[in-house]
Amino acid sequence: MSEHAAAADHGNLNYLNHETTLWSWLSTVDHKRIGIMYLFTITIFFIVGGIAALTMRMELASAGPDFLTPDQYNVLFTLHGAIMIFLFIVPGIPATMGNFLLPLMIGAKDVAFPRLNLLSYYIYVVGAIMALFALLNPIDTGWTFYAPYSTQTKSAVILMTGAAFVLGFSSILTGLNFVVTVHRLRCPGMTWDRLPVFVWALYATAVIQTLATPVVGMTLLLLIMERWLGVGIFDPKMGGDPVLFEHFFWFYSHPVVYIMVLPAFGVVGEIIPVFSRKPLFGYKMVCYASLAIALVGFLVWAHHMLVAGISDTSAIYFSVITFGVAIPTAVKVFNWVSTMYKGSISFDTPMLYAMAFIFLFMIAGTTGVYLATLAVDVFYHDTYFVVAHFHYTIQGGAVIGLIAALHFWFPKMTGKMYNEHIAKIAFVLVFVGFNLTFLPQFVLGMEGMPRRYFDYLPEFQSMHRLSTVGALVNGFGYTFALLNLLFAWIFSKRKASANPYHSLSLEWQTQSPPIHDNFVETPTVTDYPYGYGTPVEGGAH
Amino acid sequence: MFRYLPEQASKIAPSVDWLHNWITDLSVLFTVAICGAMVYFAIRYRKRDGVDHETPRIEGSNFLEVVWTVVPTLISIWVAYYGIVIYQDMREGENEALVINAVGKQWIWEFQYENGKQTVGEFVVPVNRPVKVVLTATDVLHSFFVPAMRIKKDAVPGHYTSVMFTPVKTGTYHTFCTEYCGTNHSGMLAKLNVVSEAEYERWVNDRSDDLAKLSMTPAKLGAKLYSDKGCVACHSLNGTRLVGPSFLKLYQQDGRKLADGSEVKFDEKFSVEEYIRESILHPAAKVVESYPNGLMPAFDGQLSDGELKGLIAFIKEQDGSAPAQEEEPASEDMTAKLAAMSLEELGQFHYESKACNGCHSLDGSQIVGPSFKGLYGKKGELADGTEYVADDAYIQESIWDPNAKIVKGFQPNLMLQTYKDQLKERDIQGIIAYMKTLQ
Repeated sequence: MSEHAAAADHGNLNYLNHETTLWSWLSTVDHKRIGIMYLFTITIFFIVGGIAALTMRMELASAGPDFLTPDQYNVLFTLHGAIMIFLFIVPGIPATMGNFLLPLMIGAKDVAFPRLNLLSYYIYVVGAIMALFALLNPIDTGWTFYAPYSTQTKSAVILMTGAAFVLGFSSILTGLNFVVTVHRLRCPGMTWDRLPVFVWALYATAVIQTLATPVVGMTLLLLIMERWLGVGIFDPKMGGDPVLFEHFFWFYSHPVVYIMVLPAFGVVGEIIPVFSRKPLFGYKMVCYASLAIALVGFLVWAHHMLVAGISDTSAIYFSVITFGVAIPTAVKVFNWVSTMYKGSISFDTPMLYAMAFIFLFMIAGTTGVYLATLAVDVFYHDTYFVVAHFHYTIQGGAVIGLIAALHFWFPKMTGKMYNEHIAKIAFVLVFVGFNLTFLPQFVLGMEGMPRRYFDYLPEFQSMHRLSTVGALVNGFGYTFALLNLLFAWIFSKRKASANPYHSLSLEWQTQSPPIHDNFVETPTVTDYPYGYGTPVEGGAH
Repeated sequence: MFRYLPEQASKIAPSVDWLHNWITDLSVLFTVAICGAMVYFAIRYRKRDGVDHETPRIEGSNFLEVVWTVVPTLISIWVAYYGIVIYQDMREGENEALVINAVGKQWIWEFQYENGKQTVGEFVVPVNRPVKVVLTATDVLHSFFVPAMRIKKDAVPGHYTSVMFTPVKTGTYHTFCTEYCGTNHSGMLAKLNVVSEAEYERWVNDRSDDLAKLSMTPAKLGAKLYSDKGCVACHSLNGTRLVGPSFLKLYQQDGRKLADGSEVKFDEKFSVEEYIRESILHPAAKVVESYPNGLMPAFDGQLSDGELKGLIAFIKEQDGSAPAQEEEPASEDMTAKLAAMSLEELGQFHYESKACNGCHSLDGSQIVGPSFKGLYGKKGELADGTEYVADDAYIQESIWDPNAKIVKGFQPNLMLQTYKDQLKERDIQGIIAYMKTLQ
């Protein structure tokens, strides 16, 4: 399309260098720059959360107390969870890749409310600073803040839940912005059935962000009221009900799982067609599946509470509905794999991550079936099986999705190419390390090892030790992968072309890195972005 | 494949495992099939020699979409259905179940049986009989998990929840707390002993523990409470810092610094006993510097005065001098004291200290056993229809061998049968003398 025109008209000017002062970054309303700022900020928290995780794994390498006290351990798993969830993976793909790509993918100049977009970044920063201050008197409730422990412990619950409350607003505003952007700013010809699947996924995510996040905001406010003003809501000593907190909390925190993982589904749906040179199989089904997951995701929250003392009737209801999430997820996996059929497949790093994602998500999904099954969940609830399961969904899904996206769109974001060999070595370390960390944890769960244990019975030691080794390998893998990208951006002399992977999607039709206004002239779209391959009879879209 | 579940010790375990293993096999099948297809496509259709080959523009297949929507749906329905059926089977035999009350508190499990027997950190059930554990918590959420029985349920403060299981194998099994509850969450374990019906009956009716408490020296009682009430989890005896201060030399420490900056001074107004008593009943009143507040449960209303004195005596003993206590060093004192008492005083002493007052009133009201008021010299009918006269011999027999003669309208087997070892002739005479004052 306008690729050559863009390069000719603007020479070397792009969104990174058309202004270079620090203030031009801090005050930017450019969605691309905001995306990059988010990326650096959340990476810091990924590192902090990762160090907390590795410290825990070191303590757990052998039975008995080693170098931590139980209280320090409890603080560590709380920080690991709270930081990874609220500061890293919830903003994760939407705020970084979503901000950068959404307007580019739909042929817009920016999101619908650019200033609101900058505001949500600064709200995020305020929330993050509050969370950092909370580290001074670190919280030990677990990231779930379950009452009445959270109303009774002496740690900085108010500051940390206050931080999560503030971060929630950042998430709501980003969601709102994206919903309006997708509705109002699509370029001519970009009909709903021509939207990239990543945009569909972001849209579904944004709907959840906008509708579910206020509920956790209210819940955390109620918790703060209880601690501060002694209003009895959750603590039975004041006439409250702790199970009510669990309902409120999971009404947000289950949908939030899909905030984390739906965008990763979108990423995989973008990568596989490009590297298979094939149309995305069942494009419409993949898009509708995102919406279905978002919708059903709102109806299953109490499957986190099947043994919490809810009635048998509700337990049965939530168990059955939970299986409803499995179906659209399975549909997506089948479609991704079918896309590769008769393709021309190349194994660039993004494709390796995408294929790893499918494998890891198969494990995440099938182990989810155990937990949805009422009689089996009674055994597995709050054991290491659950820990392994949600790390397969969140790390194996959302984080691998983010890393895949970073490698895939790196040339577009930076205009540079990274070292493919190091990227592949890092991939192998991440993949092997991850599985080595969490497969043993499934075994621990089967053997009945409860989660959030500072110490454990001697019979669990060998699996714990394997898991610790895996975590170290995994940590090295991420370190290599991120350093490789960072070095490439700073030092690499290899310039990326506008469209190194020959993708048909709109973001690749402008120069790399894109100009400040994204496109020289507003693009017009005539087909969906997956029209790869030679037309065959009966294969029409 | 992947069979790592623990021993099947309950009736429901084989059903749970059957479904579990089906899910495993289906999961492995689907994962291998899908990832196998992915790897096969990746190898078979790889780009060769760096050049893309022609690919067909296949955009989808309605037939396949229907197949891979319907097949997982059917499998899901099947799995969900059996998940519900087996879940409901867990409640089988609820009406005839043995009921045990369990209370979770930071960081101990307390069990109470229907006859009042109480245990901490350990409970016993008979094999092959449905057991219903009724759960609650006093402080924060806990969760009751016995892997070998395949059961779990949260213990929620302010709520009663319950789990059921029917053990089918004797043995000892782990019980865990699986809902995070603070500092010592991972130490909140309990032992489940599954024993034969006969052994269970013996165990549950053996109240020698309670009885022993009555005839213990205060320090011994304290030592027993130290482990029974779970103090041991947080307070060491050797100076090691656990969650709370060690008991070692705690009694001697005057002038300890408190969290609010003040110091504890022991004097005539505030003795060390007073301080320990307060710290047990109201732990938040004075928190020692560098120790967290709010972790220890308040024992106000949960300990008798005697128990409290016992604990204080026990703590006093931890002066670092002797590793273990010899048998009843203080009993000589006691013997002399008892010998100095009049018969009536002795009788009253036993009436109170041997817990007769639990079952025998002094005002004529009927509790579990006959009231002592007007008992001496009374005539009446026994359960077997014969007559009795409550003379000295009858009373002595009734104390030493309570089941020998049961008064009509009262139950056998309720009174402890171990008084013969504890109460000698003079003690009996004392009780009789005491009874005579209650005409």
